[in-house]
Amino acid sequence: MNQETFHSIGTSTDWIVMVVYFIAIMLFGSYFGRYNRSTKDFFFGGRRFAWWLIAFSIVATGVGSHSFVKYSAKGFEHGFSSTMTYINDWFFIPFFLFGWLPIIVYSKIRSIPEYFEKRFSPSARFLATILLLVYMIGYIGIGFLTLGKAVIPMLPESFALLGMTFDVTLMGAVIVIAIITGIYITFGGQTAVIFTDLLQGGILIFAGLLLFVLGMNYLGGFDVFWNLLPTEWKMPLAKFNSPPDFNFVGIFWQDGVAGSIGFLFMNMGLIMRFMATKSVNEGRKAATFNILFMLPISAVVVGGAGWIGKAISVANPDVVPPNTSPDQIFVVVANIVAMPGVFGFIMAALTAALMSTVDTLINATAAIYINDVYRPVKKWFKGKEVSQKMKDKRELFAARLSSVAITILGVLAVLVFKNFPTVYEAHGYFHSTLTPPLVVAIFLGIFWRKFTPAAVITTFLGGVALMLMGANHPGILIAPFDHGIEMNPSHPYSYIRAFYNIFVCAAVGVIVALAAPRLKSIVANIKSKENYKQVFYFIAGLAGVLFFGLIFSSSFITLHPGSVVETTVLLLLAIILILCVAISVTYFVKYDEEAQTLGLTAWSINAAKEFFKGGKVNDREGEPVKVNWKLKPGDEDTINFSKSDMDKMQADVGDLVYLTDARKWLGGLKSIHSVYGEPHDEEGIVHVNDEHTKQSQFIEGKILAAEKEM
Amino acid sequence: MLSFFDSWFPLIYLYGLGGVFFFFGMYIIKRSGAIDLTIKRHRFWFRVMFFGFFYFVLMHVILTIAALYF
Repeated sequence: MNQETFHSIGTSTDWIVMVVYFIAIMLFGSYFGRYNRSTKDFFFGGRRFAWWLIAFSIVATGVGSHSFVKYSAKGFEHGFSSTMTYINDWFFIPFFLFGWLPIIVYSKIRSIPEYFEKRFSPSARFLATILLLVYMIGYIGIGFLTLGKAVIPMLPESFALLGMTFDVTLMGAVIVIAIITGIYITFGGQTAVIFTDLLQGGILIFAGLLLFVLGMNYLGGFDVFWNLLPTEWKMPLAKFNSPPDFNFVGIFWQDGVAGSIGFLFMNMGLIMRFMATKSVNEGRKAATFNILFMLPISAVVVGGAGWIGKAISVANPDVVPPNTSPDQIFVVVANIVAMPGVFGFIMAALTAALMSTVDTLINATAAIYINDVYRPVKKWFKGKEVSQKMKDKRELFAARLSSVAITILGVLAVLVFKNFPTVYEAHGYFHSTLTPPLVVAIFLGIFWRKFTPAAVITTFLGGVALMLMGANHPGILIAPFDHGIEMNPSHPYSYIRAFYNIFVCAAVGVIVALAAPRLKSIVANIKSKENYKQVFYFIAGLAGVLFFGLIFSSSFITLHPGSVVETTVLLLLAIILILCVAISVTYFVKYDEEAQTLGLTAWSINAAKEFFKGGKVNDREGEPVKVNWKLKPGDEDTINFSKSDMDKMQADVGDLVYLTDARKWLGGLKSIHSVYGEPHDEEGIVHVNDEHTKQSQFIEGKILAAEKEM
Repeated sequence: MLSFFDSWFPLIYLYGLGGVFFFFGMYIIKRSGAIDLTIKRHRFWFRVMFFGFFYFVLMHVILTIAALYF
């Protein structure tokens, strides 16, 4: 059935509302750009915010990325089961709240690849950086694709300029959007993103619910809406294994497992938000509140237009034809049920939220670039010594420049995804394919002390090779995992491939980790030979040749896709690759299990806390105090309270303290972290220095609240 | 009427397999000492995590019953 597409939806009033909305949001964001004093502030917002502020700012990121466009499309095609990906994120919450979150905060890492260097080796960091950059840029590409699909129905099919006619294309729309997005993020930074997201999170929820209520009103009430939908459309979970483009079991593995772990554990954009909270406990509150309450609400907000569209198409197929292009249904329904101006407002909220997601991702990718490419390269070349201030200025400039480059790469990534029938399938394929190696490596790294550098690097290289082989021979390799899902030859196993990919990556990692003693004895055996160095170089070279050979053959050569013989030969080569990589890494990488797991796995969180503090942790439970502030001379990074205030907080000299403007609605925007100095006798007064006031932007005469961190 | 395979079975699969991941996670964080139940704040989080699991089970059960019988 041919899909019906729309153009030139909306009126000039709607466009005026959209332009005003965008200008207002950009001005709002730019205002908070002044809180960036360093790359730490630019990327992380200075670890100062209250949980509620981060929880609401995450809404725009989550809703934006799991967008209105794709969930409305699936809501229109399949009903309430479009919500299932929003209500399946709880299974990994214990691992996140008490594993990954405290580790990333307390180990003071600035990016996920940095964790891989500390926990494993620089080579593991190098590979993790490549995989993560590909993942993030792909994610940005998905964001741009969604944005393009959202605005296309509002644009004319073509327009004339200087006597020439230009067709409005998806790529053209994406490029214009990318320019606007790039300008904003380049001059904003993380604090700006957090605050615009906070504003947009609220507006987005309001706009989505408004649309749902307007839709109900249009249909004649909830009863009419409910009775129009067939039972199948009301189910909260899709059919178990059919149809191939939307089934429960495939989406469980793609989204509930790979997607949930990917979103919580390796989405740097989200992780940076949690790192911007004032403490680990506040991060836990933000994550929990978001998953328990905001995601179920968001599920209605983003899918509602599709459900309304379905009900209208049943009641009146002339108004919403059943063959309407699913990716356009949100815009079509919004235009039908909302009056001019309101439609513009809803569209502005949608596109601005999507831009927030893309902004967050660009900011996060720039953070990875600075931390894992720029700094190591600078260190490698050992340039002229410069002051910290100059270094910071250069890094900030490089961060802004890299944001522009990443935006361009994100636009190019759209080319990979634009041929999928819907954004949902493009996103599903993307998650299933790019997350498993990193997801498995992070997960095993955090929770299994025996997971070695050989295991993690083999997971990356061997896992990727096996995944690509699966992509090339799905009928043989992925079919045993398919749970009865029919293979669609044009997009084979878009979702359930995640199960195969996770399985092969985890199997490679676990087997190599368990084989560590055997690998050591093989290495020792080779080392006893006279020409052992040449042997190891040969094995490493063979691993390189096999890896690139398998990648090349899987990516560019399709000789006999269904050939069992060909697949068997490739599998044997993959096994040799895995063996060569594992032996090479065991020989070349120096690894001290005791030192490199301390504070970096869930088994030694207390050591991580001690590392973070730089001394023994004070866990005595005190209470917060309210104080006035006074300026003290000097630049020592300590702040001084009276003896009685220290007693109330159960604090000792050298403990960590958090000091904030007492006005709670600021959410910690004006705040600092510091260390308790020697106490004084001025009751209710805290002494801070000039740098503290500059960082926090405390206002004279305003009361501050202080609490002991640890 | 939808078959059991397409109505209740996805829910059983979701919380059966998802439950394995969840309870394994609870076991690991307890066993590793990442969550210390002698600390009041950690006891709170322990309860919140269990609550969350059953909260989502209940949500899906109610939505499934509503879809099938109302």
